[in-house]
Amino acid sequence: MTEARPDRGQSSSPIKSPLEFAGGLFLVGIAVVGYAGAFTLPFGQLSGIGSGLLPKVVALLVAAFGVVLVLQSLVWAGQGLERWAVRGPVMVLVSVLVFAFAIRSLGLVVAGPLCFLVAAMADRDTRPVEAIVSAIVATLACGFLFKDLLNLPIPFDPVGVLGPLHGPYEGLKTAVKSLALGH
Amino acid sequence: MVDLFNNLALGMAVALSLKNLFLCFLGCLIGTLIGVLPGVGPIATITMLLPITFGIDPVGALIMLAGIYYGAQYGGSTTAILVNIPGEATSVVTTLDGHQMAKQGRAGVALGIAAIGSFIAGCVSTLVIAALAAPLTRMALLFGPADYFALMVLGLMFAVVLARGSVLKAIAVILVGILLSTVGTDLESGEERLTFGWSEIADGIDVAVIAMGMFGFAEIMRNLETTQARDVVHAAIGNLLPNRKDFGQSFWPITRGTFLGGLLGLLPGNGAVLGPFASYTLEKKLADDPSRFGRGAIEGVAGPESANNAGAQTAFIPLLTLGIPPNAVMALMVGAMTIHGIIPGPQIMTKQPNLFWGMIASMWIGNLMLLVINLPLIGLWVRFLKVPYRLMFPSIVVLCCIGIYSVNNSPFDVVMTAGFGLFGYALVKFGFEPAPLLLGFVLGRLMEEKLRQALVISRGSFLTFVDRPLSAGLLAVSLVLVVIAVLPSIRKGRDEVFVGGD
Repeated sequence: MTEARPDRGQSSSPIKSPLEFAGGLFLVGIAVVGYAGAFTLPFGQLSGIGSGLLPKVVALLVAAFGVVLVLQSLVWAGQGLERWAVRGPVMVLVSVLVFAFAIRSLGLVVAGPLCFLVAAMADRDTRPVEAIVSAIVATLACGFLFKDLLNLPIPFDPVGVLGPLHGPYEGLKTAVKSLALGH
Repeated sequence: MVDLFNNLALGMAVALSLKNLFLCFLGCLIGTLIGVLPGVGPIATITMLLPITFGIDPVGALIMLAGIYYGAQYGGSTTAILVNIPGEATSVVTTLDGHQMAKQGRAGVALGIAAIGSFIAGCVSTLVIAALAAPLTRMALLFGPADYFALMVLGLMFAVVLARGSVLKAIAVILVGILLSTVGTDLESGEERLTFGWSEIADGIDVAVIAMGMFGFAEIMRNLETTQARDVVHAAIGNLLPNRKDFGQSFWPITRGTFLGGLLGLLPGNGAVLGPFASYTLEKKLADDPSRFGRGAIEGVAGPESANNAGAQTAFIPLLTLGIPPNAVMALMVGAMTIHGIIPGPQIMTKQPNLFWGMIASMWIGNLMLLVINLPLIGLWVRFLKVPYRLMFPSIVVLCCIGIYSVNNSPFDVVMTAGFGLFGYALVKFGFEPAPLLLGFVLGRLMEEKLRQALVISRGSFLTFVDRPLSAGLLAVSLVLVVIAVLPSIRKGRDEVFVGGD
């Protein structure tokens, strides 16, 4: 994220509105990817529009808007770019990816706490012990809610990570269930 | 008239079955629970909770989803009043006077009047929906593909006019949404478009993936930046029931708010977001002493909250009768309905009257439930809000992951959601508003389909859009809207409406 620079002295730069300038480039980037993805598709005729017409036309329009924004940013003064945080977004993204890669093979019992703990690292205020306890509690609560109460086919513990703890966990669940149902 | 009551009676019979009553209750409760979380708006809440409706029949599932939606709305207002963090755009106004009331030890009254105002607004707008549904559905049958296309153009133009900030950027973001909607297999030719060889997106991108990424993860990333000291009210919550004087002061604001919000909610293109702002501005103008506003005026909570709820409900009308979602939340509802095998549109009312009227009746019941659940549970929400954000946001991340994984049982969806999280974060950083993208995404598919149909029918002549009076009229209005949007004097007025509270 190289854009993390705060806006510099605007008088020396030809770019009078860094926010609009970057936004315009961003649009052009999206348009290029979009157009490339539809490059080989036919336009077709008006009576039988081809599969490529809409994506290509829309991509060109997006690019046009991007160019206009860039040109505008050279003429009218505007806002500077906001600072990009690095730690927060990166940690949140990594935590989501960890979940995605662990959920099938290792199950929620591993993916849940891992995801929670990596995400927790996004915040400087995180306290380790508190976070670990919450991660375990949150995972067990989610497992109970989604797997046992709602019967969603989410892998919970496919490789037996819980091991000897499996028995007590089942016991805990039965206890909570009977408590909730008022038996 | 007799028809209306017969239909409502049919709806009540469906909605009052023990199972549906329970689902409605559960939806409202869980919706509020998640919606109360700071920074989690209705879009993220609905996406997160979508999988829990999978095992339920379509009628029950939609009743529950509607309950989740109202619950999330009301939860957002609770957070706005107690913590001064609006869960979404429509509760921004509530923070102004609501949080001030809370600081003065009148949080209970603020929450109470918000609930009562919402309930009244909900009752009125349920009747409006029931009354308008049949005529609008009949009208929808007159719509040809060209007219549908024109109507969607109009909707998107409204979204542009109502979006905050630059008109250029609003249009651009909608176009990006439309571009994203073309990803996947082309329905007519079977060719893959914009998939770059990834078979995982050959069926297109799930609307839930985009919604969760841009409104769940991106929102968390942004909240983490501003380590704002969360200002949970320490003062006593106080009496919940407003007294006679409060009621007196709130009566007309609630009435006017309901009317304004209901009317604006009908507009295609996110009119509902305007309701609370318009109501606040109106009340401030009409007040004997406008300086009380911003310092805990009860009218500043009662009016906008009623407008908010009325708009949230009448927004269902374009979706249920025409099949066209008017805003981002309704766009997500299209996705949710499709998962349950229901295609929103005029055919629902005639083919599945149980579903249609059951859902409408459940809206009224849901509003009653919100009143009954929330007032006694306020103590619980307060305690919930005192959980520090450093523990709350990782839990939200885990919940989002489980939610999005469960939609298709696909880890790839989770990865893509992370990608859209980053995309959404970048969009906001570059000064784009993300909500119109979701609307453009859902309308994009419909628009392409209708455009192609219209051109096939007209044998390739674009004149079909001008020859048909309906489509010509709608396109003319769209054009007027664009002109209005770029006129500087009106833009200024528009910006004033949005910042009117400050």
